[in-house]
Amino acid sequence: MAVVGAGPAGLAAAIEAQKRGLNVLLVDMNLKAGGQLIKQIHKFFGSHEHRAGTRGIDIARDLYEEAVSSGVEVWLDAAVYAIYPGPVLEIARGILATRTASKEMVHASRVVLATGASENAVSFPGWTLPGVMGAGAAQTMINVERVLPGKRVLMVGSGNVGLIVTYQLLQAGAEVVAIVEVAPKIGGYGVHSAKVRRAGVPILTSYTVLRAFGDRQVEGAEIVAYDEHHNPIEETRQFLDVDTICIAAGLKPYAKLAALAGCELIYSPVLGGWMPVHDENMHTSVPGIYVAGDLAGVEEASTALEEGRLAGLSAAESLGKGGPDAADEKESIRERLSMLRIGPFGKARADAKSEVIKVGEKICRAG
Amino acid sequence: MPRGLTVDGFPTEEELKKSPGYPSEERFKRGPVAVVECVQEIPCNPCELACPRKAIQVGVPITNLPRLDEEKCTGCGICVARCPGLAIFVVDKTYSDKEASVSFPYEYVPLPREGDVVLAVDRAGSVVCDGTVLRISNPKRNDRTAVVTIAVPKGMADEVRGIARIRGERIG
Amino acid sequence: MSVLDDDLIICRCEEITVGEIKKAIREGARDIAGIRRRTRAGMGLCQGRTCESLVLRILARELDEEAGRFHPNTARPPVLPVTFGVLAGEPDE
Repeated sequence: MAVVGAGPAGLAAAIEAQKRGLNVLLVDMNLKAGGQLIKQIHKFFGSHEHRAGTRGIDIARDLYEEAVSSGVEVWLDAAVYAIYPGPVLEIARGILATRTASKEMVHASRVVLATGASENAVSFPGWTLPGVMGAGAAQTMINVERVLPGKRVLMVGSGNVGLIVTYQLLQAGAEVVAIVEVAPKIGGYGVHSAKVRRAGVPILTSYTVLRAFGDRQVEGAEIVAYDEHHNPIEETRQFLDVDTICIAAGLKPYAKLAALAGCELIYSPVLGGWMPVHDENMHTSVPGIYVAGDLAGVEEASTALEEGRLAGLSAAESLGKGGPDAADEKESIRERLSMLRIGPFGKARADAKSEVIKVGEKICRAG
Repeated sequence: MPRGLTVDGFPTEEELKKSPGYPSEERFKRGPVAVVECVQEIPCNPCELACPRKAIQVGVPITNLPRLDEEKCTGCGICVARCPGLAIFVVDKTYSDKEASVSFPYEYVPLPREGDVVLAVDRAGSVVCDGTVLRISNPKRNDRTAVVTIAVPKGMADEVRGIARIRGERIG
Repeated sequence: MSVLDDDLIICRCEEITVGEIKKAIREGARDIAGIRRRTRAGMGLCQGRTCESLVLRILARELDEEAGRFHPNTARPPVLPVTFGVLAGEPDE
């Protein structure tokens, strides 16, 4: 079995399948395994089953060690740039670290795609200036590369990513001048917003960024509030002295490879946009190909972990390696997944996910 | 005018007082107690395991608001560093005749030092009074979340929830 | 969403503006692939990773349709930038 992407979903899928007796190859284009976990320096929410209260960076390290010690073969700096019927993966190895990148063709009887998500852009005058960047990119700079993207930051978007990255920019020593949120309410968890408010960062709801100023780089931003009819309120128009504008406008599943593999896609606004259809075993419309994590709908690391386990287990089961507890185990994973999708924040995702699975049950043959 | 957690970004007094994690005024009068400022139903429960006396319950489903058993709570503060949302505080309104103490999680460097006079802030991040640092607790089990305790005027015990970040390098 | 000026760049890689995308729609483009063929939006280094959802929103708004009506660009290998050396299976010197 080949797993593409060593984030929480890919790592969990690889560990689960390897433990059940498959030979697993886990490939990731980055130099370090863990996906987004390697920049999550905060303690995670969730339940103890998902190691809540532990920092994401530590979960990444532990999962990677578990994968390696259970016998998973891991290729880092290995970019899967094509997938053909078979399935066969075409992989470039060593692009980042060496000058002698090589091509590998890998045939696998099962493939789990866990390619994650990419950040949504927002277009406004000046958005192409250096200094405008995704909040996730800023987070990579501060927490992985240890480089401060700027000294005075405007954060656009108050979802959990916007709030958490704001907090981490403060920890890294930057000033976050304000968070603007186009909606009338804050998008992310109240505990995250409370944390950044306590640190003195204003959160301006019903506000938007109008433009970024600057000659060769960001030198300022103009923001304005909207009334309930979406008309700008002129007297709220103001100039902010910032050198960086971070965009936290949500994520979309990175479905290019799944599309290339021939997986049927479905549009789910709640789950981030176009994503592969899958059934309740995480199996896609293409025999032998599974998906998990943000690719299968943008959610959280804990859901990615559980979906990865489910995909790995289902793949093993389809090859006769599920073991006697496979059915029970799948049920308990699904139970935990549904527990992660309750409450005011989870309900919409639960509904969207069951829509996807409903379609999936029709077009995704058992692998 | 307070507009509530989802607009202002921090809970109002009303939101706090009707949540099951907020101690009664009577309990405050009896000494240090945990103040759980978690008023939104999110799937999270590390606080439940954190307390050795089982004074915080989430139960099933995991989105339940944490319920503080104020009789069991001794105000030991173990939960403060364990809450991933940094939403638990310990307030001691009996600290001295004129002062209360407030303990809060603090994840910035440099850390303040014992005896420092610091700028105490409220939930909106506004500086409301001076505070004196009583202690900084950062044992291994806190996993790098320091818990800072400051003394503030008694009347500020319900307002103060942190300090202004300390700027600049500090060696040693 | 604020009104988009016609000279605002949407596809950074190929420097394609809102005006050019709207023109392509007036000329008959009815999906993302149609925009791509007419303007090259989404054909640069990032292969639409950044601009595709922006193009999708302009299409939906100009044609007054649901965003979910517009399928993403056809995926073709390589989905990530790789050197010719890698594609040819030769060591990249």
